[in-house]
Amino acid sequence: MIHGNNEIIRVTDLHKSFGSLQVLAGVSQTVYEGEVISIIGPSGSGKSTFLRCLNLLERPDSGSILFKGEEVTGKRYPIDAYRQKIGMVFQHFNVFPHLKVIDNITISPRLEKKMDRKKAEQMAEDLLNRVGLFDKRDEYPTRLSGGQKQRLAIVRALAMEPQVMLFDEPTSALDPEMVKEVLDVISELAQGGMTTLVVTHEMGFAKQVSDRVLFIDEGRIMEEGTPKDVFENPKSERCRDFLNKVLF
Amino acid sequence: MLQVIASIWQKYGYVYIQGAWGTVYIAVLTVVFGTILGTLLTFVRLSRSKILQNIIKAYVWVLRGTPALLQIYFFYFFVPKYIPFEMSERACIILALVVNASAYVEEVIRAGIEAVDRGQTEAARSLGMTPRHTMFRITMPQAIKNILPALGNEFIVMIKEASLASIFFIVEITSAFKTVQSATFITIPALMISGAEYLLLTTLLSQLMKLVEKRLKRNDSRQ
Repeated sequence: MIHGNNEIIRVTDLHKSFGSLQVLAGVSQTVYEGEVISIIGPSGSGKSTFLRCLNLLERPDSGSILFKGEEVTGKRYPIDAYRQKIGMVFQHFNVFPHLKVIDNITISPRLEKKMDRKKAEQMAEDLLNRVGLFDKRDEYPTRLSGGQKQRLAIVRALAMEPQVMLFDEPTSALDPEMVKEVLDVISELAQGGMTTLVVTHEMGFAKQVSDRVLFIDEGRIMEEGTPKDVFENPKSERCRDFLNKVLF
Repeated sequence: MLQVIASIWQKYGYVYIQGAWGTVYIAVLTVVFGTILGTLLTFVRLSRSKILQNIIKAYVWVLRGTPALLQIYFFYFFVPKYIPFEMSERACIILALVVNASAYVEEVIRAGIEAVDRGQTEAARSLGMTPRHTMFRITMPQAIKNILPALGNEFIVMIKEASLASIFFIVEITSAFKTVQSATFITIPALMISGAEYLLLTTLLSQLMKLVEKRLKRNDSRQ
């Protein structure tokens, strides 16, 4: 959880609307290397959209995103190369059902980094070992539980050796007994120094692992600070309301 | 009845067999080139250019919204006049059928691709995969399962639509019926033989499609 002062992502005044619905109403934030940030807030508040803007799965209408000082929202910016540096894990796992577990991991480094099969598989096996899925190496993902699928999705993203990991409600679609195994992997990753942004409803987890917590509502960051600040001493009415409604 | 059918078959069997070959010839060309053209159109439709998308939309709109027979007349009268080389009547009709089929194939393939969960594309793109790799390595292999059954239905329609060529007395199964009927003045039994030929062809085709689908399923245990 120790991080230097190297800024990795700087977002300035991000706006995004879907039709007439404004989802992001001016979000600014700087993320430093190695930081672990939890993003909380009511549903529909724009937290997922904010995360999705960071790797340009959504194009912001206005505002700027600097990655290590480089503007990435330009039309001509090499988006695929950029996304290779930003891993993302989704609520619904989105593992590739037509590929074996091992191929789920190796396909992108082999195609996009021209890594040879042997090297890619070696790396994939190491990653599978790390999350306890080595014995599933040659299975198809349909044979995996939700928790296993999500762990697979995490190592699939790690195979591209990203510098930042984005987690979009990674445990919301899981059965309760599988939440911990996924959160453990994320914690381990965060503690290993990976710059991490997690949109989550797991307040206990947010409290435990994050360096900073952002509370987003109505497309704005309404409150931010250390977990202690935000959870124990929320300044805004909205954040207090929200925290009163959720369980820990 | 059976006796009449048997005697017609004895005397005119060769007409029906020629007709069957005619239908197979027209249908195979329509299926092959209709599928190729339809696939190409799908990729154009899925491209980013709004203009190209709209051109394909209009193409499909016209071809699905007008009768195939009308389209055949159009190609039959129009194309030979305006092309610099000689084109047989049969070629004109096959061309019309290919163009007609391509519109339906485009719709089938596009629907199959669009039925693949959007999350798959998002996951692939978030890994930094290019749009091309995402399409051919992630989306398409999953779309095939949606596409094949519907495509099989289109192929059966194509076999039956080849009967439209009989209006121009091109050799195929329905023309065979017309030939025999006008030679013998026996209608229903002559018709039944043509019907049986169609059933044989369409049944063979649907069995073949089932086999291909089964093969595909066996090759991956994902269901």
